[in-house]
Amino acid sequence: MIALNINGEDRTVDVPEDMPLLWVLRDVIGLTGTKFGCGIAQCGACTVQLDGRPVRSCVLPVASVGTRSITTIEAVGATPAGKKIQDAWLDLEVIQCGYCQSGQIMSASALLNRNPDPSDRDIDTAMSGNICRCGTYPRIRAAIKQAAKA
Amino acid sequence: MKRLGLLFLAAVVVVAAGVAIFLFKPASLPDVSEAQAKLPTGQALIDRGEYLTRAADCVACHTTAGGKPYAGGLAFKLPFGTIYSPNITADKDTGIGNWSDAEFVRALHQGIDKDGQNLYPAFSYAAYAQMTTEDALAIKAYLFSLPTIKAEAPKNELGFPFNQRYVMRFWNLLFVPSGPLQPDPAQTAEWNRGAYLVEAMAHCGECHTPRNLMFAVDNGKKFAGAELQGWKAYNISSDKKTGIGNWTDQQLFDYLSKGHAEGRGSATGSMGEAVDFSLRHLTPDDIKSIVTYVKSVPPQTSTDNAIVEAEPAALTASTAYAPSADGAAQDGLGLKLFQGACASCHGWNGEGIQTPYAALKGSRTVNDPDGTNLIQVILKGAHMTTPQGRQSMPAFANAYSDVEIAALSNYVLGHFGGKESAITPEDVATARKQ
Repeated sequence: MIALNINGEDRTVDVPEDMPLLWVLRDVIGLTGTKFGCGIAQCGACTVQLDGRPVRSCVLPVASVGTRSITTIEAVGATPAGKKIQDAWLDLEVIQCGYCQSGQIMSASALLNRNPDPSDRDIDTAMSGNICRCGTYPRIRAAIKQAAKA
Repeated sequence: MKRLGLLFLAAVVVVAAGVAIFLFKPASLPDVSEAQAKLPTGQALIDRGEYLTRAADCVACHTTAGGKPYAGGLAFKLPFGTIYSPNITADKDTGIGNWSDAEFVRALHQGIDKDGQNLYPAFSYAAYAQMTTEDALAIKAYLFSLPTIKAEAPKNELGFPFNQRYVMRFWNLLFVPSGPLQPDPAQTAEWNRGAYLVEAMAHCGECHTPRNLMFAVDNGKKFAGAELQGWKAYNISSDKKTGIGNWTDQQLFDYLSKGHAEGRGSATGSMGEAVDFSLRHLTPDDIKSIVTYVKSVPPQTSTDNAIVEAEPAALTASTAYAPSADGAAQDGLGLKLFQGACASCHGWNGEGIQTPYAALKGSRTVNDPDGTNLIQVILKGAHMTTPQGRQSMPAFANAYSDVEIAALSNYVLGHFGGKESAITPEDVATARKQ
C-alpha cells in the first residue's frame, strides 16, 4: 500500500511501486482531468504539481512521490495562482481542443506561484515543455500576463 | 657446412613440432571433485550461484536488448570483426546443457569450450580465471536451474587469422592468470573481498583499463579509462583530477549501489547496465569492499578531458526553473531544445526536477568536451531500476537531427560543465553508427 496526499486528501492505493503517478490518478483514483499525451515526458499534458512544483506524472513512479502533496487540475483552482490562471484562461478563451490544457494550466500556475510577474522569456522557459497541437501559444502567453496583473 | 645446415633444419623441425603441440594438443579437463565436495546442494547452491552470476554480470553480454536472459546473440563489434555471445542456458542443442562441471570451469578459467576449442577474450575469462572453482560451479548450478531457451547465436564474422581459434593459445599464455586470485595477507579482509569482486567477478578492468596492442587489458595503466563501442569508460583510478580520487566513500557507494550519487550524476550506458543488472543486487558489505579496493588502486593520470568543473558560472547563476539571464547561448538552438525537451526533468541548476537521477551537476558526461557519452545518452536514453521505481530518460535518436543534437550537446556542456566544446553534426552521425 502506498500513501498519497492528493488535492489535500490522504489516500492509500494498492498498486505496484513502479506504476506511473498518472495511471494511479486516472485509473485507480478516477481523477481523469490529467491527460496522457506522449508517455515520455515530452509533451506536458500529464503535468501535475508536487508541493507546488510541476512534474510529469507519466514518468513519475508512484513510489517516488513520498510525502509531497499532489495537486491536480481538479483542485488547482483552489490555489491563488491557479484561480488567477483559470480565470484568465476563461476570459481570453485560450482553449481550442483542450487536450493539453490541464497540463498548460498546471505549468502556468506553478510559474505564477514562483514568479508573480513573468517576462516573455520566463514564459518561454517555463512553458516550452508543454506542447499544444492547436497552437494556442499566443493566447497562453497573453493569459499568463493577464493573470499576473490580476 | 652441410652438417650445420642439417642441424639448423633439425632445430627448426623441433621448434615447429613444439609450437604445433602447443597449438593443437587437446585441452585437458581440470579436476573439480574437491570443489564439488565443498559446495552446498539444492536451493542453497542455486541461491549462491544467483548472487555470483549477478556479481559477474553474465546477463549483460549473454542477452540482447529485449531478448531472453542468457540466450546470447549480443553482437560485439571489434576491430577484427563481429562476434556474438553464445546461449548459456541449459538448452542441450543450442546452449550449454550438455556441458560437464569440469568443462564449464575450464571455459571460465581458460577460455576453452566443450569441444576443446578456444573462445575469444570478448568473453572475459582473463578475469574469471581468478574465480574460485567453487564459485564457478555455483554459477553453473544457477544457470542450469533456469528455464532452457532454444536460440542459436549468429555465426561470428571474423577474418583470417582471427578466425583461427588456436591462435588464442599464444594470447592465453601471455595474458591469462593461471589460478584463483590469492588474498594479500598484508591487506584487510574487506580489501581482499573487494579485490576478488572487482577482479574475478565484476571485471571492471575489462572496460575501465586501456588495452595494449594485443588487445589485452594493460594493467600497467589499471583503471585509467578507455573507450569502447562508442562510449567512454571513465578513469576510475584514485587520481584526483581525472579519476575518482576526489569522490567520497559515500558517493562511490551510492553510485555503485543505486546508479546515482549526489554531486556526481547518474550511471548511464554500459555502466548503467552494470549497476542495473549487477551491482545494485550486491550486499552493502560487498559494495563497501569494492569501494575500499577501487580507492586503493594507484592514481593514473589520463589525457581524457572529462574533468568536472565544480561550480560552473552559468549553473550557479541558474535556478531550478530558469537559466541565468546572461550567456552567449541565449536564444540559440541548443537552449531552445533544452528548454522544450530536457528542462522539465533536468531543470537548469543541475539538481534535477523530476527525480534526483536527472541531476546533471558534477557528472563527467556533461563535463567532457568530447561529448562522447553525452551524445550517446541523448541518442539512446537511459534507465535504472531504483527502490523508488524505474527511472527513465527517453531516447532522442529519432526525434532530433544531427544538427539539433550537436547544438544541444554543446549547450549542455557549456551550461552544466562550463566547457567550450565544438561537437559537430558529423560527430553525432558517427555516434549514431556505434
